[in-house]
Amino acid sequence: MTVKIVTDSTSDIPASLALELGITVVPHMVFFGRESFLDRVDITTDEFYRRLTLENIYPTTTQPAPGVFADVYQKLLKGNDEILAIVLSSKLSGTFRSAVNAVGMVEGKNRIEVIDSSLTTMSLGLTVISAAKIASQKGATLEDVSRVVKAKLPHANTIMAFDTLKFLAKGGRIGKAQGLLGSLLAVKPVLTLKDGEVAPMTRLRSMAKAADYLYNHIARVSHVEALAVEYATTPNEADVLVARLGAIYPVDSIYKSVVSPVLGTYTGPNVLAVSFIESK
Amino acid sequence: MKQSNTISGPEFRDMFAAATNWLEKSASDIDALNVFPVPDGDTGTNMLLTMRSTVEEAYKVNEPSVSAVAQAMANGALMGARGNSGVILSQIWSGIAQGLSDKETFNGKDLAKALTQASETAYKGLSNPVEGTILTVMKDASIAGQKQAAKNGGDAMAVMEAAVNAASESVANTPTLLPVLKEAGVVDAGGQGLFTLLDGALRYLRGEVELMRFRKPQMVSSKIPMTPITVTAPEKVGAHEIPFGYCTEFLLKGKELEPEKLKHKLVRRGQSLIVVGDDTTARVHIHTIDPGSIIHFATTLGTVHSVSIRNMDEQHQDFLEMQKSRTPVADIEIVAVAAGDGLADVFTSLGVASVVAGGQTMNPSTKDILQAVESLRSKKIIILPNNKNIVMTAEKVQALTEKHIHVVPSKTIPQGIAALLSFDYEADFDINTRIMTEALTSIKTVEITRAVRATQFNGLSIKKKQAIGLLDGTIVAVADELIDVLRSTLTKAGMKKAEVVTLYYGEDTGESEAQKVKKEIASRYPNLQIEVVKGGQPHYNFIGSVE
Repeated sequence: MTVKIVTDSTSDIPASLALELGITVVPHMVFFGRESFLDRVDITTDEFYRRLTLENIYPTTTQPAPGVFADVYQKLLKGNDEILAIVLSSKLSGTFRSAVNAVGMVEGKNRIEVIDSSLTTMSLGLTVISAAKIASQKGATLEDVSRVVKAKLPHANTIMAFDTLKFLAKGGRIGKAQGLLGSLLAVKPVLTLKDGEVAPMTRLRSMAKAADYLYNHIARVSHVEALAVEYATTPNEADVLVARLGAIYPVDSIYKSVVSPVLGTYTGPNVLAVSFIESK
Repeated sequence: MKQSNTISGPEFRDMFAAATNWLEKSASDIDALNVFPVPDGDTGTNMLLTMRSTVEEAYKVNEPSVSAVAQAMANGALMGARGNSGVILSQIWSGIAQGLSDKETFNGKDLAKALTQASETAYKGLSNPVEGTILTVMKDASIAGQKQAAKNGGDAMAVMEAAVNAASESVANTPTLLPVLKEAGVVDAGGQGLFTLLDGALRYLRGEVELMRFRKPQMVSSKIPMTPITVTAPEKVGAHEIPFGYCTEFLLKGKELEPEKLKHKLVRRGQSLIVVGDDTTARVHIHTIDPGSIIHFATTLGTVHSVSIRNMDEQHQDFLEMQKSRTPVADIEIVAVAAGDGLADVFTSLGVASVVAGGQTMNPSTKDILQAVESLRSKKIIILPNNKNIVMTAEKVQALTEKHIHVVPSKTIPQGIAALLSFDYEADFDINTRIMTEALTSIKTVEITRAVRATQFNGLSIKKKQAIGLLDGTIVAVADELIDVLRSTLTKAGMKKAEVVTLYYGEDTGESEAQKVKKEIASRYPNLQIEVVKGGQPHYNFIGSVE
């Protein structure tokens, strides 16, 4: 009997790592006009950001349909195996509803649990990674893994420094950061997740200052259990931030990943983010 | 993907059935936007109920012709119209039905014509059409539809697409047309509702019915900056208008009713009057403090049906409660002192709730600042004096008010902006005051002006009208040309470490001159981020920050 871990592609877990840890990542859909792509499957992050930057079109996204989750569940449910699906905040997407609706469509539904993480990006990713590690331990049950994950969720978060809020506003997911729109000065808004929604933290005048802010925030976290740095189109800035964070946390254990196209649709290019789990 | 060159009656019906379901998903969000003509918070619900009645009627038609379906929908809308927005929506439907009369099916050209007819009929139904409302959105959508049809007439989907895009733009623009929206920081609710309907219809044409089940309509954001850090409940909205009274609606049946004449007779008896319909059936909507006399008058003209009288003061209370629950907890508001329209706009766009006019040589009084403080809703106020001669004036405010006041002693405009930007949305009143005060020293202030008299200072000999440069309040440079002074003042501010330079140009300085200065600095410091913003301040040609 094994507990299998399922998440959605906003978790931003690098594909190789997902494969290694046996995590099933269900892709969202990304649209450029009438062209549709499975997130990170049909379109690479490089290609996505190239088009996002060069083409005069705002992409749109849609969550995985219940049928997609149902297929995934059905394939994973062998023998006595159990499934824990951990998905992005239900306040940002209907993915949670899709994942829950799908449970009723398969045989063995009492061996599936779906968790609304209230998170997204690598704070979701880090939680999913830790879930996969617990699930791989001998004798771990769905109940065990679920309990540990739920205990970690309140201590995980992401802080993102945006180059612009244009994409977030266009996509209708700006939430409480609405008040940061319309600034007459060029500012880099820093946002976080609060109660499953996007919420403002502060504003800075340059990405360099924003990177300082991210670093200082992590430096103030008392015990970092897991840490990740994400970028969209600026790998060098991410490298510099990872190197600095190495002073606080073992640099080899910091995950570095690229913001998925489905999220890039809302963050736009140049975004820089840190995600962490604080151990209590 | 559906090929939608022409559309049949049943398709037309299904298209708006889908659009109605789409509207349902954001009806409550639209309710919360509602401030015009009265903030009663029911626009979304009213439009939804009107559309339900509209679509219901369409399902009763057995003919496949689009003219029959559209006519039935117009009747359904008229019979089921609720509230201001519902009645206007019924006018829109009446226009659409007229535009599609005698059509078996319709193409893009026909659709464009129907939308135009809808816009015209909607304007005609109102005694006093107001721009920045659902009317403007309908008009803009129809104009875009016409343009698209002229280019590529046949394709109904292309016309719909053009109309939806224009509607979205138009909704975003409503606060610039209607001050009450700008004041409340929202877009027009009726306009948003209409956009949502058209968007829903377009999505149906695109074959996105499945997708629509799992998604929510987009709420359009305003184009103009107008959001204070805390959301101010729109208590002020409409406060200067007459008492809200009763929202009175009924259907009048009879002979030779002549809606135009009816409108004339009712127009002085209340506000937000709408009369729509024909000589045998007319729907009347009016806000009045005496509904009895209106109904009495109506019974002399024909038979009165579906009477609805609602107390709007109660509705308004409910609306305020609803807004209250949306207000964030961090209940801090900020007052800033600044001279110049440009600077006032910069502060406002960064979240200042009230800007007091004043600055160098025109210091505001304690009373001026006190008034600004008292006008705000919050009990916790941070004041940014932005001038060293105003700091003490600001500090006197605390003794005169029951509210809690913290003064962040900003001595220059750039210091005030640096403090404001550092506002932490997670932190409380005291911590924010500390963070903002710390931020004052994170930048250097550069001010460039012309000497009003000859003087000696710091070993510099200054002639009258020469350009002088101040760094954090001290004169450090003098020359005949502004640009020379700016250059040497910036050098003294330590440009090697600087990442961002922001220059606010004054009322006597043109934008082209400011841009020239920007180029000149950029050529010297290629890695620097330079921003030039209109400040409009008196005396100072340039005020700048180096950080």
